[in-house]
Amino acid sequence: MKRFRIPFAALAACLAVSTAWAAPGTVLRNDKLYAQPSAAATVAGSVAKGANVEVLSKQGGWLRVTAGRTTGWIRLLSVRVGAGGLGGAGIGDVVGAATTKSDPSRVVAVAGLRGLNDEELKTAKFNPEEMARLEAQGVSGAQARSFASQGGLAAASVPALPGPEPKQSSSSWGNN
Amino acid sequence: MKARWLVIALALTAASTQANAFDLGKILEERINKELDKKDKSKQPQQPAQTAPAQQPATTQNAAANPPPAKQKIDARQLGFALFGDYSLEDENRIGHQIAGNLLGAVSLVRDDALQRYVNLVGNWVALQSGRSDVTWRFGVLDTEDINAFAAPGGYVFVTKGLYRLLDNEAELAGVLGHEIAHVTQKHHLKVLKQSTLIGALGQAASNKAQGSDQIVQNLIGNGAEIMARGLDKEAEFEADRIGMVFAARAGYDPWGLPTVLQDMAGLPAKDERTSLLYKTHPHPADRLAALGEAVGGRMDNVRGKDLPDRFYRIK
Ligand SMILES: [Zn+2]
Repeated sequence: MKRFRIPFAALAACLAVSTAWAAPGTVLRNDKLYAQPSAAATVAGSVAKGANVEVLSKQGGWLRVTAGRTTGWIRLLSVRVGAGGLGGAGIGDVVGAATTKSDPSRVVAVAGLRGLNDEELKTAKFNPEEMARLEAQGVSGAQARSFASQGGLAAASVPALPGPEPKQSSSSWGNN
Repeated sequence: MKARWLVIALALTAASTQANAFDLGKILEERINKELDKKDKSKQPQQPAQTAPAQQPATTQNAAANPPPAKQKIDARQLGFALFGDYSLEDENRIGHQIAGNLLGAVSLVRDDALQRYVNLVGNWVALQSGRSDVTWRFGVLDTEDINAFAAPGGYVFVTKGLYRLLDNEAELAGVLGHEIAHVTQKHHLKVLKQSTLIGALGQAASNKAQGSDQIVQNLIGNGAEIMARGLDKEAEFEADRIGMVFAARAGYDPWGLPTVLQDMAGLPAKDERTSLLYKTHPHPADRLAALGEAVGGRMDNVRGKDLPDRFYRIK
């Protein structure tokens, strides 16, 4: 079932077994490395956008990484785990090549599995039977609330995140 | 430009108060021809929707005070939603119902009642934090290895089996559903429909006076479920990531579920056919991580939540 898991997930699995395992990663924005997974901890160093790091472990919103000779904790969203570099169209091709080369089993796992395509969606006709099934599967708000409390979930007050400021695209060193 | 809109606003108002006093179809045809003409002349057509709100309040009030007569050949309200301001909740539900039903014509639901119920329970709980209680939220897992998720107006949310397989705990599912729920609360697809099909909808309404309302909605959304393959603009996707992460956190989940799924997707081989539609309709996961990182910074540092890996329903 988990044969499709990819580097990041594999990282978590491998770490449970061995701390010697590491995954490559690329820094997505200028950020700091901390001695502990907390912005209140001592700053161990800084990394710049585009820098390569070795990802050693994950804890909540933090990754433990080695950049050059410095090892420390960096925010999860400041690094892309995997071999794809800064990402975006085109660059991603490198990922595929690199991953399939290092893990031949992946080729087998992925072969023959195709996704949805435009044509299927364009020619799709309304399916009343499936819609009835969808409606029948619906649950009430009361059921959802009781399900949440069974799992120990409670609604929390979390402020909305700000949208991007116009004209301010690149991150600064002190923005955390 | 403004003057022309005023003319149409007055024409519509008049038409809805005095049935058949104007040949509305003809007015619309002229209007459409003008729009098409303008489009030919400049590649960058002006957005009529941005000019419209100036006249909107008066028009909607008039329409409300004087509901259009039932026998009118063209339902002015049908046109009203394209011309002036927002879709009504009823319009939204009809549009979403049609899109969802068409999507289910392309791919059916996974035949696993326990899975579908589980996803509906998690989804409804997250949706309860969204502030949108005027729609009935419905969630479904689609029986395809494609890695994707979809939202349609009116509260329809789908994840594919392929994406579901990437998930490892309930917080990750909540993050993915939160992103789709945000598309609905922000009415992202309705905004696209308003911009891209304004002219088409007018033309359709003017030329198919006898058609049923389902057909009008179908013509509005295009062929089948192709709107799902068209995608939204990047900013809408980044916004859905920001809002979805917050919805999941408000539901008591670990906020890092969605970022973790994005990391997983970023690690997939680029040539994987299961992600071709996803990458056509969404920015690359690495770009989404970077954009989300800019917004989050240290804002989630003190937010604690649950992962619930043990309760997570695993597909056989
Ligand atoms: Zn999206």
